[in-house]
Amino acid sequence: MASNITAAPDHRPTFREAAAHLVAQGRTAASGARLWILLLLAVTVVGVIGVVGRIAGGFEDRTAWGYYAAVVSFLLSTAAAAPMVSIAPTLARASWVRPVTRVSQLFASVGVVTALLYIPLMFALPPLVEDGVRRRSIWFGSPPLTPHVWGSVAILGLVFIGLALLWASSIPDLRTVAETATGMRRRIARRLAMGFIGTDTQWKALRMRIGVLGAFYFVFLVFTHLVFSADFAVALVAGWKDAIFPMFHAMTSLQSGLASTIIAAFFIRKFGRLERYLELDQFWAMSKLMFATSLLWFYFFFSAFIVFWYGRTASDQAIIDTMVGGPYRWAFIATFMMSFVIPLFTLMWNPVRHSIKGPTIIASIILAGMFLDRIRIYAAAWSARGINDKFIREVPATHWPDIFDVLVIVGAVGAAALAFLLATRLVPAVSLWEIQYMRLLTRPVRFGKGHAVIIAKPD
Amino acid sequence: MVSPAQDVASHSWGMAVDIDRCIGCQACVVACQAENNLPINEEDHFHQARAFEWIRVERYWEGEFPNIKAHFIPILCQHCENAPCEPVCPVYATYHNDQGMNVQVYNRCVGTRYCANGCPYHVRFFNYWEPVWPESLRNQLNPDVTVRSRGVMEKCSFCIQRIRRGRIDARKEGRQVRDGEIQPACVQACPTNTLVFGDLNDPTSRVSKLRNDRRSYRLLNDTLRTEPNVYYLARVDTTEAEAAHG
Amino acid sequence: MQQHRELSEKQINTQLLNGALATPGWWKFAVIGLALIVLAGFATFGFMVNSGIGLTGKSRPVFWGALITTFVFWVGISHAGIMISAILRLTQAEWRRPVTRAAELLTVFSLITALTFPIIHAGRPWRIIYWIIPYDFSRGIWPNVRSPLVWDPAAIGTYLTGSILFLYVALLPDLGNLRDRTIGWRNTLYSVLSLGWRGNSRQWRLQTTAGILLSALMLPIFVSVHSIVSWDFAVTSGVEGWHSTIFAPYFVIGAVHSGVAAVVTMMALMRWLWKWDNFIRPEHFDALARLLIVVGTTWFAFTMIEILYSLYSLEAQELAFRDMQIFQWPWALLFVIFLITGFFIPVPAWFFKRVRNSIPLMFWTSISVNIGMWLERFLIIVPSLARKQPFVYTWGSYHPSLVEIMMILWSLAFVAMNMLLFARFFPLVPLFEQKESQVFSSKIKIGRASVPAVLREREQE
Ligand code: SF4
Ligand code: SF4
Repeated sequence: MASNITAAPDHRPTFREAAAHLVAQGRTAASGARLWILLLLAVTVVGVIGVVGRIAGGFEDRTAWGYYAAVVSFLLSTAAAAPMVSIAPTLARASWVRPVTRVSQLFASVGVVTALLYIPLMFALPPLVEDGVRRRSIWFGSPPLTPHVWGSVAILGLVFIGLALLWASSIPDLRTVAETATGMRRRIARRLAMGFIGTDTQWKALRMRIGVLGAFYFVFLVFTHLVFSADFAVALVAGWKDAIFPMFHAMTSLQSGLASTIIAAFFIRKFGRLERYLELDQFWAMSKLMFATSLLWFYFFFSAFIVFWYGRTASDQAIIDTMVGGPYRWAFIATFMMSFVIPLFTLMWNPVRHSIKGPTIIASIILAGMFLDRIRIYAAAWSARGINDKFIREVPATHWPDIFDVLVIVGAVGAAALAFLLATRLVPAVSLWEIQYMRLLTRPVRFGKGHAVIIAKPD
Repeated sequence: MVSPAQDVASHSWGMAVDIDRCIGCQACVVACQAENNLPINEEDHFHQARAFEWIRVERYWEGEFPNIKAHFIPILCQHCENAPCEPVCPVYATYHNDQGMNVQVYNRCVGTRYCANGCPYHVRFFNYWEPVWPESLRNQLNPDVTVRSRGVMEKCSFCIQRIRRGRIDARKEGRQVRDGEIQPACVQACPTNTLVFGDLNDPTSRVSKLRNDRRSYRLLNDTLRTEPNVYYLARVDTTEAEAAHG
Repeated sequence: MQQHRELSEKQINTQLLNGALATPGWWKFAVIGLALIVLAGFATFGFMVNSGIGLTGKSRPVFWGALITTFVFWVGISHAGIMISAILRLTQAEWRRPVTRAAELLTVFSLITALTFPIIHAGRPWRIIYWIIPYDFSRGIWPNVRSPLVWDPAAIGTYLTGSILFLYVALLPDLGNLRDRTIGWRNTLYSVLSLGWRGNSRQWRLQTTAGILLSALMLPIFVSVHSIVSWDFAVTSGVEGWHSTIFAPYFVIGAVHSGVAAVVTMMALMRWLWKWDNFIRPEHFDALARLLIVVGTTWFAFTMIEILYSLYSLEAQELAFRDMQIFQWPWALLFVIFLITGFFIPVPAWFFKRVRNSIPLMFWTSISVNIGMWLERFLIIVPSLARKQPFVYTWGSYHPSLVEIMMILWSLAFVAMNMLLFARFFPLVPLFEQKESQVFSSKIKIGRASVPAVLREREQE
């Protein structure tokens, strides 16, 4: 160790302080949580009305389901991608991620909403063979309902793995909750903690489980995006041959996953008074990643766009007209601004990145951009006609949402927030054991006159 | 007297190819070979897939012997309005001129062969070697046409030398070019009038009328949107037509 | 994982400068041998200029072949430098330190080599200047900016300039070091090159800032270069097998795969040739192999998606092209070799720690990756052209001629020779990075265990 490194005072909360604070925050009565739960419940009911209305309208008219598909895709691209924020940096052994792992994994609870919303959509998707004519799909000669089956497998699998990951990584904290909380929370937490008492073997098994589940989650996330984007968007538009699209879908979802996590972390920090746990470092690191993914947004979009634009074949032109320059131009331009231009020109300044409010505001803009992006893709794809043609000969006109679509949109967002909020009632919103790890593995020091931190890199 | 500017603006050269008339005699191929100083195709060149045919007659068989039919389609550069070969050339050696033709400038060409990859009709040719003619044939080379050196691309030019000459003659006489006055070599050689050349801007020209024929279509244009200036007239199958009419 | 072997500054200096200040015995022979191949390559090129592109195996419609493949290959290799230096620098991966210089160098030389290939391949190389530099102002004709072949030199030129700057900035402290250790003309050379480097804190600050700025600026260029190369192919709607939207990221990730593998090859050679066992250690190979697992798997997934989506449309030309590429002799054999060498041998092997830590095994697996990556480009370029559109009646094939093979050998020898020449005058492992990593490495006591750690400077909130 170099000689000009001296120890610095450590102001970080101890485990005991953290446990007391965080467990208390999880009470239903804390920070007006009860009021919020009731409010979100009402919004969810509104959403259910919307879904029922949509279903009552029948499954024949595919156009009507465009916004619904966009909503499902939006949830897949935000909540479902959020846990990746904890998985990828953990695999890369980044230390800053520890306090936000829980926030990102709590989004797995939203998977339940996604899966429920997906069920009606499955009925709206046409089978592979209609009137004896087989349409193009990535499933080639498989039985007619293959996309429906694989779509369900993917989404259910994703939800299942996500919940398992959330559970596995909360086990040590559930133990703490079981020890310190009261009433029903205590009973449930004890059940779920599965007799964890923190022996060496248990820890080893736990870390192993988290690692494996994380890797699986990543693989399933990519698979889900591949299958969903291929069957619920690409295959519905004749002549749309776009190999990068699944990757665009998955990539942009990482951007929005980060944005969701930042927003959630912001609110949790504010309402839970967790300033000492979710620090500037976490927001800074996440906003750097958000900046990188915003650049990738443009890269993946442009990779496809230039090929269509330069290629100029009939199908190339039709695709651009359908989703970029045609009736959905407004949505595309807004998306382009909100998902790329605005993040680029704000996040490139360190003062914006290195703050709490800056990344949060940009994250909200990104989420709105993502929503419009999914609309321009799904609403257009679901209203395209002539599924068996070589390419679409008639670019579909703009399809505007009806009242049920609006209800579904509002309800889905409300239900997602509700699921998230309910999950935080049981599991502490910041992982206690990760924080404790961080305390052990990093040391604030002084390096010459400056501040520095020593980060241990165990195997 | 027609001013040169007017003259230029008023033309858009095009061709009509009536597949129904083509008998596959290959006269156009030979005529083009002679007119445009194409190198001599030896057997080896065909084996190496390096032979030159600015216009070729594709032959398709339909049915099984003895109920077999041969169909012929003469294919030359389509002089696409929206040519995929043009934007890719780094030095503008191939570009679109103001008379609807896709032009190749041999002197600018550096031989990247990118245009040939871009062309979906397979009508571009590369001079892999310096072309050589036997002594006896030297004097039959057309003086109006450049002899291309090795390393450059070439393709059907719509016999641009003949178009030039036709326009100069017309201008000298102070009149517009008459329909049918300019004939590329292949058109001139065709015994069945399969090939018709003319000005698509002139609604009365033969080629304009054929373009508006019911049978007219353009190769691959439906999917590739290359907007060729060569129009094909579909074959009419008399046996089928008779069967349809009973 | 990181065993810290504390070396004194003196040890670092003497060991790492052993290539630049002393000539190893094998050096002369190696350089002469490579120079002979390089000369033979130049002679071959002259011969081809003199007789024509007919000497290659190309035909109609296979207008592009092994030469363009090799061009793409070297552009791919060039992605090593920035991947290792810039990205790992920005993400603060400690293990990058000993390999940065060699990786950047590889970038520079492979880019120069790549740039020669379009010239070698063109029909009239002596006129190639038209392509890049506007000429003939009187007629107002400029190069056609719509052509991807004009984007290419622009992107590669920018990348090359940036890489040279990047290399140079990182070389400055070591040049100062060399200046202080030499006499005579070499001293003069290093004095001039080191730009008055004396290692005061202002200079260090500037050097660090320049390095970070260049890293950030180079990243977009890094991505754009191979994307643009991929668009040479992807924008061509006339060739079904190329007209694919995935090409840009697919090529970039493939380039990183081959580039990082090439760095591994080079590290093994450096360790063997200059005996730098103290600096290039198994843990570095281990870290690179982990990175390669991620990159290789992603690249393979892209390959599969590419094939899936090209079959998706079920169009005749696509099917004919894939049929040729995957099932027809001899392409089927190449395809199998490509899959095995590019993915199925190396990537699963890297899952074993024994492989990751064994230098000979890493050497061979990394070579295997690059064989696979060359074949990948070859299998994209040639079969796509041979089966492009319905009017292609000459369903011929293609095989590289002797001349083309000679030019490929030339390129390998050219890069290797340049690296060796460079190593004779400059250290291949950055001395200052090595020293800095010792300053930053630290330990943390947890209970009774002592865990290796690194120091990170931090802004105060
Ligand atoms: S047919 Fe081919 S060479 Fe002729 S203009 Fe069209 S693309 Fe160009
Ligand atoms: S128009 Fe002239 S150049 Fe073109 S195919 Fe006919 S004869 Fe040949």
